[in-house]
Order: sequence, then C-alpha cells, then structure tokens
Amino acid sequence: MPTPLRRALIVIAAAVAVGGAVWTQVPSTSRGGDDPYKAPRTADGKPDFSGVWQALNTANYDIQAHAARPALALIPASPRTGIAGLGRATPIDLPAPPVRALGAVGAVPAGEGVVEGNEIPYQPWAAAQKKENLEHWLERDPEIKCFMPGVPRATYMPYPFQILQSSDVILMAYEFAGATRTIHMTSVGNSPSQSWMGWSRGHWEGETLVVDVTDFNDSTWFDRAGNFHSDALHIVERYTAVSPYHLMYEVTVEDPKVFTRPWKMQMPLYRRFEKDKRILEYKCVEFVEEAMYGHLGVIDPATGRANK
Amino acid sequence: MRYRSVAVGLTLAAASGIAAFALTSAAAGSSAAAPASETKSWTPARTAWGDPDFQGVWRYEAAIALERPSRFAGRELLTDEEVARSEQQEKEQESKRLAGEEGEAVGRRSVAESPIRGNEYNSFWQDHGRPRKVYRQTSLITDPRDGQIPYTPDAQKADARTAARYGVGPYESYLDPDTGERCLTDGVTGMMWQGPNGGHNRIVQSPGYVTILHEEYRDRRIIPVDGRPHNGIRQWFGDAVGRWDGDTLVVDTTNFVDRTNYEWASIWTRPSETLHLVERFRRTDADTLEYTITIEDPQTFVKPWTAVIPISRLPNGTQIFEYACHEGNYAMPNLLSGARAEAGKKAASR
Repeated sequence: MPTPLRRALIVIAAAVAVGGAVWTQVPSTSRGGDDPYKAPRTADGKPDFSGVWQALNTANYDIQAHAARPALALIPASPRTGIAGLGRATPIDLPAPPVRALGAVGAVPAGEGVVEGNEIPYQPWAAAQKKENLEHWLERDPEIKCFMPGVPRATYMPYPFQILQSSDVILMAYEFAGATRTIHMTSVGNSPSQSWMGWSRGHWEGETLVVDVTDFNDSTWFDRAGNFHSDALHIVERYTAVSPYHLMYEVTVEDPKVFTRPWKMQMPLYRRFEKDKRILEYKCVEFVEEAMYGHLGVIDPATGRANK
Repeated sequence: MRYRSVAVGLTLAAASGIAAFALTSAAAGSSAAAPASETKSWTPARTAWGDPDFQGVWRYEAAIALERPSRFAGRELLTDEEVARSEQQEKEQESKRLAGEEGEAVGRRSVAESPIRGNEYNSFWQDHGRPRKVYRQTSLITDPRDGQIPYTPDAQKADARTAARYGVGPYESYLDPDTGERCLTDGVTGMMWQGPNGGHNRIVQSPGYVTILHEEYRDRRIIPVDGRPHNGIRQWFGDAVGRWDGDTLVVDTTNFVDRTNYEWASIWTRPSETLHLVERFRRTDADTLEYTITIEDPQTFVKPWTAVIPISRLPNGTQIFEYACHEGNYAMPNLLSGARAEAGKKAASR
C-alpha cells in the first residue's frame, strides 16, 4: 500500500508527465525512486518555501470531522403540531434568526477534519466549555469581530498567506485582518508579553521548518466550532514541502490547563500559483464596526439620546 | 492595546505629532553637519541574492518639523551655531525626560497650549528613549521651497477643521473618531516617519520583495520588486510596485481607495483615488535611511510636494511587537457612552 505521501508524489509525477508544459517553470519532482521531494534552495542554502499558500479544507468551520449542517448558529425547531394520531415530517434544527437569511451561503460544508484520531483530549470542564462556546458562536468567535486569528487558525482560514523568507527571519503574512508573524530564525529573547499571534522561533530540521510558538493570550479559537485554549498554549508547527505546489503542515498542540495530553493536526497547504498572486488587503475592522458599536447608535447632540 | 487609552484623540501620533512637537526644537545639521541628502559616498551591504540590504528596525528620530516653522522662513538650512544649540537642547530635554519632567521642559506643548485637557498624560507616548537627532534641514518638506504643504483651499479648510476637532469631538458615532482612533491606520504616507509612538518599522527583504512592517496598527506593505505591473485593485495602501535604481529602492503606488469621507488625524495622509505616491529609499550611511517621498493628489494639493526624511537604524536585535489596537479598543465604546452622557447632561440643563 502506498503511503499518502507517496501517493501524492505518484499523482504529481503523473501530472508532470501529462501536463509538462505547465510544470516546466518549477523544479522537477522526479528525483526517481523513493527519495522524498527536496524544495529548491534559498541563496543561503535553506529549503525555499516562499510564495503564497492556502489551506483547502473546512477546518476553520470545525477542525474535527463534521457533517454538513444548516448554519453555525442553530436553534431547535419547534415541534410540528398536526392532527393527533397522524404521522408528519418534523423539521431539523433551524438557522438562528440573525443568520437565517443567508440560506445556503450560511450553511456549514462537511469535512473529514484535520485532528489526528479526530479526538481533542479536553479536560471535562473544557469539553463543557467548548460545547457552550459553540452555542454562543455568534457572540464569542473572535473571527466575527475581526480579531487576529492566532495560530494555527491563521493557517487554515479561507484566506491566503504569504511566506517571505529572509535569512534571519521568515515572515508569515496572513490576509485575514492583516496579521503577520515574524519567525525568528536566530537567537532572540523571550517575549515581553502575551499576544494574539504568539512569539515564534524557528529552526530547520533537514527539509522541515519547525516553528515553536509560545506566549499566546487566551482569546483566540481554533475554529468556528468553539474549540479553544488557554494562555498556556504551546504550538509546534512543522512545514515540509512535498512538491513544488504543496507543503505538509503539521501542528502539535499542548495546553496543560485545557487538554489532558498533547494532540496533533495535519493538512496539506496549496500554492496559489496564479501569476503575480499577492496578499491583498482585508482590513475588516471597518466591516465590523457596525456590528460591534452600531448598537450605541448615533448620538443626537440636541437631546443626548442615541438615534438607532 | 499598547498605548491607546482613555481619551480619544490622544494619538498625537504620526506626523501631526511630529509637526506639532518638533516646533519648539526644530533643529539643525547633525554632528555630521550635513543634510542627509548631501551624503553620497556610502555603499550598502547586499543581501545574499544581491539586492541592496535595508533590513533592520528603523525609526524617524530627527527633530525636524514637517512644515517649516515661520521663524526659519526663507531659510532651508541652519547655521553651525544653531546646530550646536539644538543638539545641546535635545540632550538637556532628554535628561529632563528621563527625570520624569513633562511639558515645555521636554520640548512638548504646555498644558495651556494644548487643545486637550490632560494632554500631558501623552508625553510618554512621544518618548524616543534617546535624544532626537539634529540635522541642518529646517523642514522635512524640500519642495515647494517654502517648506509648506501646498493644500488646495478646500483641503486647507478641512485641515483647519480637523485640527479644531482634535481630541474635542464631536463623538456622536463610531465614525467620528479619526482612522487611527478607530484602529484602522494613520495612512501609508505617514507610516515611515511617525516617530516614537509605535513608529518602528521593520524592513524584511526576500527575493523579489521588500516588506515593511509598521508597529502601530500592524500596518504592512509587501512591495513586489520584480517588474510586475500595477494590479488595479484599489486599497487603503494602494497598489505598490518597486524597482531598484542602483542602490535606491523606488516604490510607485497608485490605486488608492477613497477614504476622504473618514476623519484623519492629518488630512495629508488620507488616501484618495487620485493619490499618486513615489517613494525613494536610500541608505546614506550604516545608520541612516534617506526616505524621499513625493505626494501628488489634485484633490488635496495644488501641486506635488516632496519631503526628504532621515530615518535612523535602531541597534541590532531591536524588535517590533504586536499592536493589537482593534482587539483592545475599549476607548471606542467608552468614548461613545461618555459623549452620550455629556450630551444628555447638556440637554437636561437646557
């Protein structure tokens, strides 16, 4: 049985064979035999991951396996009443009123999940908290307020990010909320404070970029399903090129305040190789001000009352 | 939220801050005793892939006013004597600053002059941590020769209106604070030379790109330097494309979005669809980046204008940190409820 990685390489090799013209601008993947793919090198000899990347999955909805459902915010439908003794179809859960008008756009697409073994080892209190978070998604998900998404969520949001690779630092520039991480590749002091995107220190292990991320605050989530962490979160990310167009992204999550043991996520990231692809602005602060402050209305200086 | 606090309008930040505060000590040629623009011999190191290397953390820390103060009218450069006096004054003010003094003693506006009651609370936002650098230029603006922003009459009025409402309001809606107070940005044109309040810029280069990370509002510019054309998508920071002209990075930016409908701390930093920006970055010595900016926008200015700005390299190992402004913008709801309470009180007393 081919491993998933080898299967991916076979597919890529086939694509190279078929669509050679498209692939001529990138280094060949056909190193023969079972050699793993080796990325091209930067001027200082490190694997070159520079470019625009994006996850293609539904992990931002829910990092665990999930079936499609009508909305993120659901309310139980009231039971259908009818003539006693006669069977009638009953409704499934309904989208909550604030998102109902979105129809199929507001529904949740299904996904296999990205969590190894599909189990998140929450402590009992934290499992209850996660469930409650999900029920209060509309009020609590930091994504809705355009807050910085944290790590690893920034990686698998439905927006691209760019890896800009210099010698002493590597930047991860995310489109969502204009968040940027500086990965320190040389010795750097400790973070002076907690932060939304954490404090990232990286090093190379052969073909893999390993990033150790610490000093998070407790305000970011892993997804729209209410999966969360505390300020004891410690993330280790591993980025490995498996083809010119794919990075394998592996995350180890550790948080002794919330989980009973470390757990892992894994997913491929895809190169956005459209010509001149850029990270564009997504300054969502101005998109959410009405949602966040609109309830305060516009104050009428004559009366001191707010007109809504 | 690192610096923003209670009252709004306190980000004397950005260029308005520089322009206002530099007045009391507007300064002169450094010990090098030449304007940055006259030093030409230094050759920058190269990146591993051969581009001039501008990497590091940079900050504007000169004591030069944006617009030429009236006492220097007709003079573009200061005398040796004025330079010496200015350097002495900067040193004295710095030691007073370190000793905790505020207001006029440290080159700030006095409380009496300030439009905002309690303005002195803000002094620490402007702390450079070391004496400001003295150059010969009497204004950052070198063209027009009079050192003044060539506003159109309408823009002149808008500028006066902005100055008058600064820190005073009205604050009837979340639209009334300026873009900085709303945690959006103070604008791309002021970003490099904002000075000490969150004004650090980290330049990171990678093949084909120069990226500038600005600490405040986590403003970010990823500038392609690979010969690509403008892409035509209008953005707050426009559509920047760069090229190397010898050891100089030239960045041409167009396709700005129109946000002249918002309040801006300094109206010359606001983007509009007719704004065209050309920037030239050149290292004149190991610690100085000469940043020349030419701003053209018939909506706001009667003619293009140019400023030459010396920017200082901070010591190796200097970091910039996360600026989570919007995430912690407690000022916004507090400001709006405060304004409501105040208006209610006034209405009741009528």
